[in-house]
Amino acid sequence: MAIDGDIKKAVHVKPKEEFDFFNDERVRSVFYQILTACVVGFCVWYLISTTAHNLEARGMSSGFGFLTSEAGFDTDFKLVEYVPGVGTYGDIFIIGMLNTLYISALAIIATTILGFIIGVLRLSNNWMISKAALAYVEIIRNTPLLIQVIFWYTGIFSLLPRIKNSLDLSGGSELILLNNRGLYMPWPVPGDLLWLTEATVVIVIIGIVVFKRWAKKKQDDTGQITGTFLPSAAAIILLPGAVYLMSGSPLGWDIPTLQGFNFQGGATVPPAFLALLVALIVYHTAHLAESVRAGILSVNRGQHDAAKALGLRQNRVFSLVVIPQAMPAIVPPMISLWMNVVKNSSLAIAIGYPDLVAVFMQTSLNQAGHAIEIVGMTMGFYMFVSLTISWLLNIYNKRVQLVER
Amino acid sequence: MAIVTISTSNSRPPPINEATLIGWMRMHLFSSPLNSILTILTTYIIYLTVSGVWVWGVVDAIWIADTRRECFDINISGACWAGVSAWMENIFYGRYPREEIWRIDFGLFLLFLWMAPLWMPRVRGKVIIGMTTVFLYPFLAGYLFSGGDKGIFMSVMVSAAIVGIIANTLNATLGVLADRSLSNFVNNKLGFGNAPEEKQQKVFLIFLAVCFVLAYIWQSGWQAEIVSWTKWGGLFLTLVISGIGIASALPGGIILAMGRRSKLPVIRVLSTAFIELFRSVPLITVLFMATTMFPLFMPEGVVLNKLVQVIIAVCLFNACYMAETVRAGLQAIPKGQAEGAHTIGLGYWGTMGLIVMPQALKHMIPNIVGSFMGLLKDTTLVSIIGLFDILGMLRSISRDTPWLGLHKEPLVFGAMLFFIICFAMSKYSRHLEAKLSTGHKV
Repeated sequence: MAIDGDIKKAVHVKPKEEFDFFNDERVRSVFYQILTACVVGFCVWYLISTTAHNLEARGMSSGFGFLTSEAGFDTDFKLVEYVPGVGTYGDIFIIGMLNTLYISALAIIATTILGFIIGVLRLSNNWMISKAALAYVEIIRNTPLLIQVIFWYTGIFSLLPRIKNSLDLSGGSELILLNNRGLYMPWPVPGDLLWLTEATVVIVIIGIVVFKRWAKKKQDDTGQITGTFLPSAAAIILLPGAVYLMSGSPLGWDIPTLQGFNFQGGATVPPAFLALLVALIVYHTAHLAESVRAGILSVNRGQHDAAKALGLRQNRVFSLVVIPQAMPAIVPPMISLWMNVVKNSSLAIAIGYPDLVAVFMQTSLNQAGHAIEIVGMTMGFYMFVSLTISWLLNIYNKRVQLVER
Repeated sequence: MAIVTISTSNSRPPPINEATLIGWMRMHLFSSPLNSILTILTTYIIYLTVSGVWVWGVVDAIWIADTRRECFDINISGACWAGVSAWMENIFYGRYPREEIWRIDFGLFLLFLWMAPLWMPRVRGKVIIGMTTVFLYPFLAGYLFSGGDKGIFMSVMVSAAIVGIIANTLNATLGVLADRSLSNFVNNKLGFGNAPEEKQQKVFLIFLAVCFVLAYIWQSGWQAEIVSWTKWGGLFLTLVISGIGIASALPGGIILAMGRRSKLPVIRVLSTAFIELFRSVPLITVLFMATTMFPLFMPEGVVLNKLVQVIIAVCLFNACYMAETVRAGLQAIPKGQAEGAHTIGLGYWGTMGLIVMPQALKHMIPNIVGSFMGLLKDTTLVSIIGLFDILGMLRSISRDTPWLGLHKEPLVFGAMLFFIICFAMSKYSRHLEAKLSTGHKV
């Protein structure tokens, strides 16, 4: 008993810890953190105080009051109503944001589709096609985007024929016209009963989703494959089409017509818009194609071979086995590429497309001053967009990880 | 009842022989009707593009002319390269005074001389060569390019750089010819050949100090003519900005990446915020911020010129991108490496500097080179805020009276220049990756 107790005591004796104040890890970490915080805090305080002093010395006002004062300039492309002379800097900020988001959204959609196509072509068994895709990717990726943007603008879209000799892209019907003032195209004017057609489209889409689920369940249960593509395609075209015709074709078209020296009616986009859009698509497609290629290559070759050994056809091998496994490697770079599209759309400033940086950070800043507020708002907008996009990425990553286990 | 038929089914044709040209073509170009159509279509498109560019850029092109009008008179459908060649000096050197251009060439030559030993296998002390390239060369080059009064600091740095380049060249020559280092050679000549290593090092340092004093005396005797930064331009300016960006991006990025992965919350939060702030906005907004807000940050009387503002902005921006590249490399290193380093008694800096960081950097070489290429390409943005870098020069050709409206040719020329530089860089990074990869391939 006594020996037992002794042993227990001996086991429980803690070694005496020598507390060395200068070499203790915790003390050090607290010290380093306080030091960093102090240095950064001092820098921030110094910047703020000198800035305040400078503003005062130069008699410059600060605050966001300028947003409600009127901006005396116009922009040549806008998605909302704006009257020069009446509209305020706040309106200009909104116009800039919408222009940036609009061109980025169009570029992102086109890039995503084309990037996948080119990425798959890069891996094509056809030597000619894969080498052509390689040449495209290498040439585009190794030259600066800004040079490409300016090239598309000054070298292509500004050199188009004048209004009188507009290029007709609709094959002689003079509906879609391209000239050095931009692209002119008809614009739909919705009628009263159009909501019937729109509602049909929504209902058909819901129906197709239900139908596909049912077909998949049936395949899981019985092994029988039900073709879903043809019925779905027929339904999405025929049903809304029928409703549209029955409700009396409630959609008019506003068609551009030549009146005097310019076209009236329809929708117009300026050459700078076209040049920037094409440049963004061409540039980012090449980058996305590389990510897609790398993603597909990251799938083990054995998966491909095994799927073939099971008797799947080449396109099924891709759609059922390779692509689903490649997606986790493709999506993260793809989403950060979307972010790059939004950021790179700011190169609009070089060719005069009125995006946020051009109308707000340059023109408004030159006219109204208020550098700190304007720079802060512009950067804040881009930060908001990229935070939203990376939030989407996080959601996706979580879902993929759950599936992978 | 099972029915077993015993008869051989038709045997499949043998696989196509890929060794012959015809077989290879059947396999890779005409394996199916669809493929054949695609091949022919692609070939036709390539033919159209290449022949179009060839006719425009070479066959119909005009190489010698005085004005754009003259080009039009000779052949209106061809490229007018005469405009580009008339501006060639401007494209490369900007408005740098013509009689001083040798200084730029000499500066580039010195950089080449300084870095060349890094590629020679027999030369000793490559780490020191690399460090001096980053820490001494920029001052020598900076003074060479800008000239003017040196001041105490510049005098010291320039003398140190002169000693550096001479010692470096001698060291490389000795390494190649005699397979020994400069330190070894000096000690032998001075009679310390058999002394212990520590003493040899001291002797060598004293030798360098003597050289430094001599260089200081020599350099105080002359002064380069001053060239204002407003005259800098062209490819030269692009290389200066991106060169400084590259030299500072890697150290800055390493520090930020370590801060972001630090265990100390304050440091981690600050680094993360800084990195994310700059990574989520376009470079052009950072450049605008630099030109509009930096003057407000400065105490009264201190005026930063535009070039310095731009360089600071480019450095900050690229350090943040490099930080993410380095962080990805750090994440790829298994935890066991750091734990192993701790076990043998290394502290934080030892673990990072000797074990983890070298592996991470080696792992990320292609991405780091990719960032450098991105930096070089992004530098063209400074033309938007009014610096005459290469793109600024290319665009001013179209505003020059004799070449009014000449847009396409300068841009194509600039694009080709960038393509050559970037393509060579990416090919070299692949080579470097293959050369340095010592790990096992999975």
